[in-house]
Amino acid sequence: MNGRLLHFYLAGINNQNFLMRDKETGSWWQQISGKALDGPLKGSSLELVACDELSFGQWKSEVSTGRVLAPVAKYEKEYDSKWEAEVAKLPVVISFPGTELKSRDVLVGVTLDGVARAYPWDTLVKQSPIVDRVHGTPLLIVVGPDKLSFRAFVSRIEGKDAEFFLKGDTKDWVLLDTATASEWNFQGCATAGASSGKCLDRVPALKEYWFDWRNYHPDTTIYKH
Amino acid sequence: MYDTDRRSSRWLWATFWVCALAGIGLFFVPAFIIRPFRYQAPRALLFAIGLRDSAPLWTLLAALLCLVFAFALWRVSTRWGKAVVTIAMLLVGFSAVMARINYFEWMFHPVDNAQFEGEAQSKLDSGEMIMAVRFGSDARAYPIREMAYHHVLNDWVGGVPVAVTY
Repeated sequence: MNGRLLHFYLAGINNQNFLMRDKETGSWWQQISGKALDGPLKGSSLELVACDELSFGQWKSEVSTGRVLAPVAKYEKEYDSKWEAEVAKLPVVISFPGTELKSRDVLVGVTLDGVARAYPWDTLVKQSPIVDRVHGTPLLIVVGPDKLSFRAFVSRIEGKDAEFFLKGDTKDWVLLDTATASEWNFQGCATAGASSGKCLDRVPALKEYWFDWRNYHPDTTIYKH
Repeated sequence: MYDTDRRSSRWLWATFWVCALAGIGLFFVPAFIIRPFRYQAPRALLFAIGLRDSAPLWTLLAALLCLVFAFALWRVSTRWGKAVVTIAMLLVGFSAVMARINYFEWMFHPVDNAQFEGEAQSKLDSGEMIMAVRFGSDARAYPIREMAYHHVLNDWVGGVPVAVTY
């Protein structure tokens, strides 16, 4: 933050989203937004780093010399392989009755110029690739060949809006675009055709529970088709 | 003479209670507001954070002040009175200690010294989900199963300080 190195630790919970504090100033930060709620740095925001949620297999196929966080021996036995199913059973403290989704429904949330849109995970897996428009920007949201990993891109090639669909006549996972008929991989880069070598701009996307996403994005819309 | 004693003892008790409740409340009120699985209203949260920030200093001062009053009360109290003073002092002391401890880390242990292994050495299944961050040629994977336990990790990726959180 402003050239100062901060170290974070878990310090509390705010409606099931964690609160962190930094050791250097003691400010309080909200996990989902990276904003300081209180303390000397109140009002500051941390910069969001480009981050992917991928299966280990997908990640390995993309990197050549990656490094993986090793389990901490002391706690390894306590890691819960079924954590997702366990967390889904936990009660929620805020709910939004009358909305189309249930509190623990999982979605992929995207924000463009402050406009938020939610893509229910089940719909996304069924319909991927989804080409949509958020605040005037064409958006491509894809679930990877493993049906686990996901990514979002600006669906525009050289300034021109494009649509994408899965190439059907191949075993490999390949996307085709309607603007240049090129082939694209899950990293959003063209591997064959006129656009070969070009990559789409990435858009940060977050896999989240509906209650938490809706709480921090009260004006969010929900994708449906 | 008897009346004056009673009045001064009442004053002592009143001051002791104000001091004890302040000391106890400084820890327990924010702990009660910021508790898991309960709704936190925005104003209540900021109030709790404010108390939590001031708690380390003020719980200590309250404990010291309470101790002075406790000594004074001890001499004039019955056995019941002494029992009450003792319990209150234990709570005040507990509060002063807890105000200095991050009890959230009892449940969610931090990673003090993160170790990494090569992708080939990792025993993760290929279907396990990870969070991936990459700066330049430095690509890192943070297994979500592990991050769902530790929740926060401070790291450097390609020379960039990163706080990884799940």
